[in-house]
Amino acid sequence: MAEAKTTDGWEPKIIAIVCNWCTYAGADLAGISRIQYPPNVRIIRVPCTGRINPFYIMKALQEGADGVLVSGCHPGECHYITGNYSARRKFAMLKRYLSYIGMEPDRTTFTWCSASEGERFAQVIKGVTEKVRAIGPADKLVKTL
Amino acid sequence: MGNVETKLREEAKKLLTEKKVDVVIGYERGTLPLTATPCFITDPAEADRLVFDATCTQNLAKFAHDILSAHREAQKKVKPEDKKKKVVGIVARGCTSRSLVIHLQEKQYARDDVVILGVPCSGYIDGRKLSAAVGGEEVLEGAVSGDSLTVKISTGEKKVALSDVYADNCITCRFNNPVISDVMTGDPAPAKSADKEYEKVEAFEKLSIEERWAYFTKEMAKCIRCYACRNTCPSCYCKVCFVEQSMPQFVGLSAEKTDTQVFQLLRTYHMVGRCVDCGSCVSVCPMGVDLRNFLKKLDKDALELFEHRAGASMDDVPPLSTYKENDKEDFIYNP
Repeated sequence: MAEAKTTDGWEPKIIAIVCNWCTYAGADLAGISRIQYPPNVRIIRVPCTGRINPFYIMKALQEGADGVLVSGCHPGECHYITGNYSARRKFAMLKRYLSYIGMEPDRTTFTWCSASEGERFAQVIKGVTEKVRAIGPADKLVKTL
Repeated sequence: MGNVETKLREEAKKLLTEKKVDVVIGYERGTLPLTATPCFITDPAEADRLVFDATCTQNLAKFAHDILSAHREAQKKVKPEDKKKKVVGIVARGCTSRSLVIHLQEKQYARDDVVILGVPCSGYIDGRKLSAAVGGEEVLEGAVSGDSLTVKISTGEKKVALSDVYADNCITCRFNNPVISDVMTGDPAPAKSADKEYEKVEAFEKLSIEERWAYFTKEMAKCIRCYACRNTCPSCYCKVCFVEQSMPQFVGLSAEKTDTQVFQLLRTYHMVGRCVDCGSCVSVCPMGVDLRNFLKKLDKDALELFEHRAGASMDDVPPLSTYKENDKEDFIYNP
């Protein structure tokens, strides 16, 4: 991702790690409904947000992602009953920790988006892209070797 | 501390003679002045080697886990009728006992696999602070007496107050007496100034984002990836650490600066609700990386968000393996 070094013509690269049952289906619905949203997002599908190891987020940031978005089912609607509750605890800690060490808090975003919320999914992507665009290209924790 | 030591030796001798434990893990005099080193006593006659004072630094819970898990592995190759139980006696101050609680909560061994010899603790000497107190001179001889230290250096003798050289985590320790114990030696030690526990973290939080990042990178640049912090940490007991894992490889092994940063971030993140602030990682670090600043933040957040103090009670559940429906979600993004 070395090409995104300068701000001229730079477009944010956002990794979205989303759960199979809600947000991925929500993204699908956004597509089927032909709702426009920025093409800056690369979606990674996982079975459940509870399956997301915080390492994934760190790794994405280290490999040069400008932003990481994690999205799953709304609380109480997890396909595996409690996966998103555990994820919520992990991410609450991780987000606070990353901003404590001096990462921009807007680099990592957590949200819920259900399968019927195609419109919300598009809004989330728009919002996250704008937030990341505002802080500029990632320069902290990015591996350059 | 004299009577604590006497009582400790008596109890250890008794446990070993009665064959209630196979080994007692404790501290013995180190080879350098003013140091103590972990020791493993199996013969009751050797129980007199045990010491306990302000020179005892390391958290011993790590060894209890090592011995018991090695024993469990070895027993897998033994016929059912020949299987043996191994019981470990362990000298535990507050932080060690909390680490044992964490092991028990995480079902690493059974409660009757360990006999806990609780000791009251007033803190231990920070090697770096001591060296600064004697002006970087080599300590030739030293002795603890009451609340001061007598240190002999090449230019003569020097008296140092113990309160000046206690490690940072000891000064603000909340649990300086064991939270669980089978035998308690000596009276509980007086409380420390635990209300100032998060003072440094709060000050750090108030710094600007650039200052925080600058401090983080400065500290991590010191790290030489010797993994001493991991090896001494009682909560780091994974059979295969993520650092050595190659499929998938989570963190690179190169000397690249972000690899070191990510290694430290992830190792410390593993300590959510599991760091007892024993200071072992800080004391073994050859480069003097300020790990405590980051670990303490996780401790503070776990308390704020989940009302959890690592290893404080046997009834607690590790915070990341449970949830509440009304957990805070102010960090959730809503477009």
